[in-house]
Amino acid sequence: MTTTFAPALTRPRRMAVAGVCAGLATHLGWRESTVRLVVIGLTVLGGAGILLYLWLWAFAPVDEAQGPDDAVSRSVPVAAILLGLGAVAAIVAVTLANVAASPYAAVAITVILGGGAVAWNLAFDRDDDIRSPRYRILVRSFGAALLTITGVLLLLSRGARPDAVTAVLAVFMIVVGVAVAALPGIVRLWTELLAERAGRVREEQRAEIAAHLHDSVLQTLALIQNRAGPSSEVARLARAQERELRDWLFAGSGPVGEDLATELRRVAAAIELDYPARVEVVATGEPAAAHTALVAAAREAMLNAARHAGGEVSVYLETSPDGIDVFIRDRGPGIDLATLPADRLGIRESIIGRMSRAGGSATVAPGAGGGTEVHLHLDTEPGGSA
Amino acid sequence: MIGILIVDDHSIFRSGLRADLGDAIDVVGEAADVDSAVAQIATLEPEVVLLDVHLPGGAGGGGAEVIRRSAALLDRVRFLALSVSDSAEDVVGVIRAGARGYITKGSSGAEVSAAVASVAGGDAVFSPRLAGFVLDAFGAVAGEQAVADDELDRLSAREREVMRLIARGYAYKEVAADLYISIKTVETHVSAVLRKLQLSSRHELTAWALERKLL
Repeated sequence: MTTTFAPALTRPRRMAVAGVCAGLATHLGWRESTVRLVVIGLTVLGGAGILLYLWLWAFAPVDEAQGPDDAVSRSVPVAAILLGLGAVAAIVAVTLANVAASPYAAVAITVILGGGAVAWNLAFDRDDDIRSPRYRILVRSFGAALLTITGVLLLLSRGARPDAVTAVLAVFMIVVGVAVAALPGIVRLWTELLAERAGRVREEQRAEIAAHLHDSVLQTLALIQNRAGPSSEVARLARAQERELRDWLFAGSGPVGEDLATELRRVAAAIELDYPARVEVVATGEPAAAHTALVAAAREAMLNAARHAGGEVSVYLETSPDGIDVFIRDRGPGIDLATLPADRLGIRESIIGRMSRAGGSATVAPGAGGGTEVHLHLDTEPGGSA
Repeated sequence: MIGILIVDDHSIFRSGLRADLGDAIDVVGEAADVDSAVAQIATLEPEVVLLDVHLPGGAGGGGAEVIRRSAALLDRVRFLALSVSDSAEDVVGVIRAGARGYITKGSSGAEVSAAVASVAGGDAVFSPRLAGFVLDAFGAVAGEQAVADDELDRLSAREREVMRLIARGYAYKEVAADLYISIKTVETHVSAVLRKLQLSSRHELTAWALERKLL
């Protein structure tokens, strides 16, 4: 004979009521019907069976879910059965009240069964696939109706003159019935309120963090850049960090999608990382789609400015109804196109040639107070993709 | 010597700035929050106040609140806003309260000194970004132009040119050279734009001002 370990005591996900008997049967290797008989027998003979049942219900775990849709389901419609028994108890209670006998025990049983049905319905049937929404609403409505109608009938018992205790019980039942009917609405409102409050707290926390970072870290980064000078390695690192932090802090407040201004800012940030320069992009006018040739030419001009001039580079983008203008201004020694060696393709090919091929124009001229200014212009094509 | 008061809640920044400013500037005091700033301005009456846009204390209004509470002194004390913020809205808030200009905290000591000198001389100081915002807010890019000189809601052709050059990174001197006008004329135009920025009721300006409870 070989020794095998008994399967762990767990409750299956497809269960009748709570899966206790089925789990116990698998664990012990008995037949399920035998287990059920034993439990019922123990219950009848002194009540140990029901205690065992509740104990195992509370402490035996349910099998692991096999997938996201693998909800626990219970084949026995417990809520409906409780409701049926509650109705029987209600009939008994009303009858007893009308024949001048004490209806209290029957009333208590009615309340327990009706309330139990609704509680079961709210607790377990909600996530159960084999219970339709209609079934859930029906159980709740019948539960409410059962309690309310029993209460009213008790009030009217014995020619509308019930004794004091019966009257109190009856009113209590009506109140509970109405509460049961209103319960789902109240629960939903409460859940929404909690969710809304949690969302607001999160939003406030985020705003607080943003404000704090804005006041502390950004200030320090600005100071570092200020003290280190625009051309130093430290200032470049500080500026890159400042940019990243800003992007994170104010994420979602800017325009969505890749428009020209965003694209130019991205290019400027990349150039700042590689060269000792500070590229400031100012954009005005309506957002325009990023034009490949224009961005490439502007990138080349910014690269030239950063590489040969360094320091402060100003980029100004203007999107007017007539066309798009980009100005790239540096404060370097300046260049003279006429004396530039023929093999220097940067300006001639990558800026001027590229712009004219795209149907625009580019001029390179000395700036008013020294340095160089590159002006790129592109006409707005009527209905085109400029 | 120009006597200035530095208002910033970061002591590191205040001392850094103090060390960087040139000889022509005399720091008469420092303040770290709205209430002490208002008190210092009233007792010291500095020529220029270097004012951080974001400040603790008071009713939470930051730099703009300092200016509004010192409104009685506006003809003697001039305010220059300092900010790490990139958003023009933050800055225009203090400008509308009465500041004469705005520079970023990334500016060097020499730049700050020059800006202080212009503000002390009664001129306005615009950064490229603020000029870009002005062009947008007054619809100048879209082609709107003032017909009469006293029109508050639109820029004149000349003002638009000046703003465009400032947005392109030109200094006043360079703007003057480019447009063949004197520096004094450039300063007049910039001051006129500043006045429009402070007084205009253009929709774009009032909308966010209302949003930020500045009006």
